[in-house]
Amino acid sequence: MSTDKPRDSRSRLVFLIPIIAFIGFAAIAGAALLGTLSGTRNSDQLPSVLIGKSAPDLPITPLSEDMAKPLEAFQGQPVLINFMASWCAPCRAELPALALLSEEVAVIAVAYKDKHQDTATFLETYGNPYQAVWMDYDGAVGRSYGLYGVPETYLIDGNGKIILRHAGPVFRDVIDTIIRPALAKLSEAE
Amino acid sequence: MIAIIELGHLALIIAAALSFAQALLPILSLSGKAQIARILQTSCMGLVFFSFGALVHAFISSDFSVALVAQHSHSLKPLIYKISGSWGNHEGSLLLWIVILVLFGGIFAQTSKALPARFVTLTLSVQGTVTLGFLAFSLLTSNPFERLVDPPLDGRGLNPVLQDVGLALHPPMLYLGYVGLSLAFSLAVAGLIDGRVDKAWGRWTRPWVLAAWSALTIGIALGSWWAYYELGWGGWWFWDPVENASLMPWLAATALMHSVLVVEKRGQLRSWTILLAILSFSLSLVGTFIVRSGLLTSVHSFASDPSRGVFILGILLFAIGIPLLLFAWRGPQLAQSSDAALASRDTALVVNNMILVVATAIVLIGTFYPLGLELVSGARITVGPPYFDATFNPVMALALIGMVIGPVLMWRGGSLPKARQTLIIAGISAIIVIVLSVMLITDISAAGIAGIGLLGWLAFGMAADMQRQLKFHQPTQLSKRLTTLGLPIWGVWLGHLGMAVFLAGALGDGIARSEATIRAMPGDVITLQDRQYRFEAIENNLGPNYQTVTARLALETLDGSDIAILKPEKRFYPAEGQTTTEAAIRPTLSGDDYAVLGDGDATQGYTLRLYHKPLISWIWGGAGLMAVGGIFALAGRSRRKLVS
Repeated sequence: MSTDKPRDSRSRLVFLIPIIAFIGFAAIAGAALLGTLSGTRNSDQLPSVLIGKSAPDLPITPLSEDMAKPLEAFQGQPVLINFMASWCAPCRAELPALALLSEEVAVIAVAYKDKHQDTATFLETYGNPYQAVWMDYDGAVGRSYGLYGVPETYLIDGNGKIILRHAGPVFRDVIDTIIRPALAKLSEAE
Repeated sequence: MIAIIELGHLALIIAAALSFAQALLPILSLSGKAQIARILQTSCMGLVFFSFGALVHAFISSDFSVALVAQHSHSLKPLIYKISGSWGNHEGSLLLWIVILVLFGGIFAQTSKALPARFVTLTLSVQGTVTLGFLAFSLLTSNPFERLVDPPLDGRGLNPVLQDVGLALHPPMLYLGYVGLSLAFSLAVAGLIDGRVDKAWGRWTRPWVLAAWSALTIGIALGSWWAYYELGWGGWWFWDPVENASLMPWLAATALMHSVLVVEKRGQLRSWTILLAILSFSLSLVGTFIVRSGLLTSVHSFASDPSRGVFILGILLFAIGIPLLLFAWRGPQLAQSSDAALASRDTALVVNNMILVVATAIVLIGTFYPLGLELVSGARITVGPPYFDATFNPVMALALIGMVIGPVLMWRGGSLPKARQTLIIAGISAIIVIVLSVMLITDISAAGIAGIGLLGWLAFGMAADMQRQLKFHQPTQLSKRLTTLGLPIWGVWLGHLGMAVFLAGALGDGIARSEATIRAMPGDVITLQDRQYRFEAIENNLGPNYQTVTARLALETLDGSDIAILKPEKRFYPAEGQTTTEAAIRPTLSGDDYAVLGDGDATQGYTLRLYHKPLISWIWGGAGLMAVGGIFALAGRSRRKLVS
């Protein structure tokens, strides 16, 4: 091995990169695991700078003519805006709970970075709990809402103001502990 | 008489004791340690095999006093699913994991007679340590042999989605790949401890990498094929965390397969190759961790349990952390500067490795970013295809460009004769194909154009390379050239050709797919591009352990001549109380016709989803070719060994 050359100390440090990266990964995974075990890792509710402000405009393209109700059509009543996509597994999982919820409050979908045909097929296959479905092809509307990802759900009051933001799928427990109490507070205030 | 199942349990405990001894062997001062290690490893293999056999026997004989059988089997299940049911659950699949771990260890023990004794002892010690960790995991947290005091009369059945031939074979193949990488890992750690990583080390390690990589390729393809026809969603890859968990080790192993070649031929890239070997198996472990801990939201969320996650994280810290520490300490001694020219096969393979590692990192980040984000901000999100399409695809496109360039360059520097001609042919073909696709295909996206150009580059570049070496225009000596070329070059060609075939399939489905979703009544005719479906009837049938609602669809050309009958169905499994969707697929080389029956009844009509998916079976055919390429390279290697 005549080509072997002793390395200076700086390049020795390069060999520490893998173990450091791994420790970082293990710390994240460990913290998440501890959170899951202790039950604290459940904070899907996060503050949004938009709370109390008017809801940004929805996209301009509807999925179909009968799914083209604008936000203004719901004036005077609360409405949920649910950002979803056909490529997102949790979005599929939350559909039954959303169907349940749609009996109490209007739910609008914004299909985030999805193809028109994919959204249509998705809803045809798994059921459509929405009163309106709007296509956010390039994700611009998602950005104006400060979306982290899908699924994410916003509660809008009768005046078009954002009341609540929920990141992650809406399951039965979320309806009971977060969404129903917020709806009750809204009807009290009236 | 003691029940076989109890003997199986006992065998697993003894195997754990033997692995412990095997792990500690290097620090004992004994003579003939390598021989003892071989005996320990081989006995351990026999015991684990027996143990697994006892479990399969319990499933076949429907012994419901075994908790696992009661929970996951049913006396009315067909025999093949009784057998596959033994690994269709967490405890059983973990035992299968260990079976393959000891299988690779055992084969190494029996084929390593010519290797230095010290090195064999070290390698088997590392392999034994990993085996011990997983045996402890199995025995302490996920014991498949737990018995019930009060056995039920019948079992609860296997999740119907998992009662499928594709899925019966998918886990064993995937595990052969995943766990097969353990041996490359053990060889790498032994090399680090021993300080001996040279051309010989490369020669010993490469066959294991090739074997594991080929099995992993087939395992992933089987999983994708299963999702395609069983989930009834028409897709073949979903960027789901569990799919990513198998893709990451595959990408890292692909890099390893190429870099270990540099070690074998040139004695270079040594520390990098060691790191890749550690990384590849580490990613297999991380994949197991993802699937088993339930940390990430996945459509595959079967058999997950956070408390088991703690144990796996412990194994992970130990099995990845210590080798990486060792690497930080010993790795610098293996580093050396390259003596190869810029335009050389060495450099091409370094670039190949960099691309594949970046691709692995992209998948890793896409898989774990949601978890990290959740810890920081509490938001739970999905990173879906938009992220991967924008990041992973362009990076892999670079790798595909390199697949034509690398093979025409020579070791150390320079290129093979007429190499420039090959590249010019590939380049011109790519441009022609791009122009044609823009002219002929309406509504094609920029990504689609790029993909087609890439396919042209790859296909014609490889054809030109084969022509250069085989000289098809002089057929008289073709057979002689075919035999003298040797298997390794065929390995390269088949592997890279497989990638081109795979790409053609992905592009065919991505660009030219047509689909329709409609609500229809029996008697309706639905047109889909150049063919039509005549919805003839709805039938109700009985299967061995399920009932069906079946739609009878006659696939015809537009003028009404028959092509085939498709029968998509919904199955109801009474034992499990679940419904599955069985797509009806007519696979042909030019494309698949794919029909799915959705909800509906006689008054409202039935939802039908109909697809035509051009070239889609090429996706799995391409993966198969890649695996065959790997096997050719492996066979070429062992034949040369016999000759020398």
